[in-house]
This record gives sequence, C-alpha cells and structure tokens, in this order.
Amino acid sequence: MASLRHKLLLLCCLLAAPVVAEEQTDATAKQGLELKSFADPKQQQLFAQLTAELRCPKCQNQNIADSNAVVAVDMRQKTYQLVRDGQTYDEVIAYMKTRYGDFVHYQPPLRWSTVWLWLLPALAVVALFMTVIRRSRQTQQQVPDDTYEVVSGAQLSTELQAMIDAAAQPKTAVAEEQKP
Amino acid sequence: MAKLKFFLPLAGFLVLSGFLLSGLFSDPRKIESALINRPVPAFSLPDLANPSQQRTLSDLTGRVTLLNVWGLWCPTCNAELAYLTELRQQGVPIVGLYYVQPVDTDFGDKFDINQLRLDVARKLADQGDPYQFNVVDEQRSLIFDLGVTGAPETFILDKTGTIRYHHIGDINPQNWPTLASVIKQLEEGADGQLTP
Repeated sequence: MASLRHKLLLLCCLLAAPVVAEEQTDATAKQGLELKSFADPKQQQLFAQLTAELRCPKCQNQNIADSNAVVAVDMRQKTYQLVRDGQTYDEVIAYMKTRYGDFVHYQPPLRWSTVWLWLLPALAVVALFMTVIRRSRQTQQQVPDDTYEVVSGAQLSTELQAMIDAAAQPKTAVAEEQKP
Repeated sequence: MAKLKFFLPLAGFLVLSGFLLSGLFSDPRKIESALINRPVPAFSLPDLANPSQQRTLSDLTGRVTLLNVWGLWCPTCNAELAYLTELRQQGVPIVGLYYVQPVDTDFGDKFDINQLRLDVARKLADQGDPYQFNVVDEQRSLIFDLGVTGAPETFILDKTGTIRYHHIGDINPQNWPTLASVIKQLEEGADGQLTP
C-alpha cells in the first residue's frame, strides 16, 4: 500500500512537471516535521534567522531553510531544539561550527586569512575616489592653458599673416629663378 | 610611470583571469572538516549484526582505523564495497557507521533493525564484507556530531580514537594512495601527529 502511494505521488509529480516545486513543498508540509511551534515569538524569529543564515553542507548554495537534504532537515531539527532550549544566536552558530566548520555559516569569521573580504572592496572604493579626484585636478590645470587661444585673436591674425607671407615668398623666389 | 599605467589594466585582467581559472579546477564539495585532531565524540550505539550489543568509543581505539559512513540506500557506497573488501584483505581495519535515512511515518514506514540486519547481511555476503563490525546510528546523532554531510564518507582515526583525516566521497584506487600515506604516518608516529 505504502509503495503504491509512493508510486502514485511520483506519477503525479511527473505529470505535473511545471508544478513539481509546489508538490515538493506540499510533501514537506505533510511530513509534520516542519510544523514547529514556539512559545516565544522571539524564539521563532531567532529560528527563522538561524535557518536562513546556516548553510547546507551537502547542497551547494542553499541555506538549511531552503534545502530538504537529510543533513539540512537534521540541522533544522537541531536548531529548533537548541532554540527551544533557550540557546542564543551565538551558541547555536558555535554548536554548528564545531561540527560542520566555518563553511556552515554564511557570515565568514574575521581572521588574517579572510580579512581581504572586507579590505579589498574598501581599497577598491578608495582607489576609485583617488583616481576621480586626480583626474578632476588635471582637467582644472588644463583650463588656463586653453584660454590663451581665445584671447589671442589679434596675435592669431598676425601669425596667419606671417604664414601667408612665408608661403608667398618661396613662390616669388621660384618665379624669379625661372625668369632667365 | 606612464608605461606602468599603460600595463595596469592588463595586469588587473590577468590577475582576475587567474583567480577565475583556479575556480574552474577547485572542488566545491571539498569542505574543511572541523573535527580534525579532535577525538570522536562519545557514543553508545547498537552493533548491526548483534543489536543487543552496544558499541562505544573504546571499540574504535587501539589501532589506526577507518570509520566508513555508508548505507544500502547509497549507490556510491555499494560501488565502494568491493574495493574496501580488498583493503580489508590487505589488513586495513574498517568499521562501518550505518547511516539510517529518516523514515516517512506518513506512509506507514518504520525503522526495523532486524530487517536492516538481514538486508545488510545479504548485501555484504553478495558484494564482499569490508567491515570489522557495523554501528547503526538510527537517529544520526553520532553522524551529526561527526559533521557528516552525506554518504559515503570516511574518517581515519589514530590509535587513541582521534580524527586525523576526513574524506568525502568514495574510496577508489585513484585516491587510496593519499589515505594510505596518512595511515602509514599514523602507524609509524608514536604520538600520531601528522607531518603535513
């Protein structure tokens, strides 16, 4: 009987391929495991926060609230127990870390080997600002250099005249040479 | 100085490419184990072949031992049995930690250790039996305390029952030399300390 129901459920899932995700959440809701009651709304909030921040060690890039791998279900259950027992956020995180390592928490610890995670973005922002400031200073310095072309209208016309003269002179020289 | 500036974008590009390239060849399943150099957590679990007998940490001490997490439900574990049996014949002591999957009570399933004992005995008679003995962890309590993410996984324990190596995935002729060298070091070293 049990296996028949399993097969029927599987068949339903296969037929309803686009709604497979929904079927799965229905199945987890049915397991009863996931109906967790809390006496204190603060504990409920803590549980929600912890299951969102703890990372499933089996499945890549899912938190334990999101995953239905056996290890994630067990970790959720353990988190529930610990929270119900009145343990704090730090205590639960430490409990999981002693078993599954730093990997298990999405917030990496601050250490010499991990300090670049914070330092590198800060350095990048500083470097960006320094470049922007230096560039704007350079363009400010260039502005006075540009102005002389504007004020030297009269100078420009004399220069132009000189160029015309210079261009005219060799021609006359050539013409004179051709004369004889 | 101007020349240096000219090559700066290229240098940045090369560094970024190198970083991303190394990512292509890294194994994301490789997780640092938190339990290296720590003793196996205390436990008292039934022996699979003889469920009335409780096994404890003292059954794992005295010699360098492989603790192999496995289950009949796990295809990779079943594929690994033949090679592990070969290793046992070479004199490697292997203890099995049986990973019991949660049973779905809504479908009327329940855990029956005697049925499991028969199924496992049949499987091991068929495929080879690499184990000195098997421990059944129905609630996955020791499995949780060991930081096991799935099956198969193997721990190398030194003579005092301290975890010295954690291997995720199957053991095969390709990766066995790495584990064998760890075992050799542990057997030779008086204090069981690894020289990295």
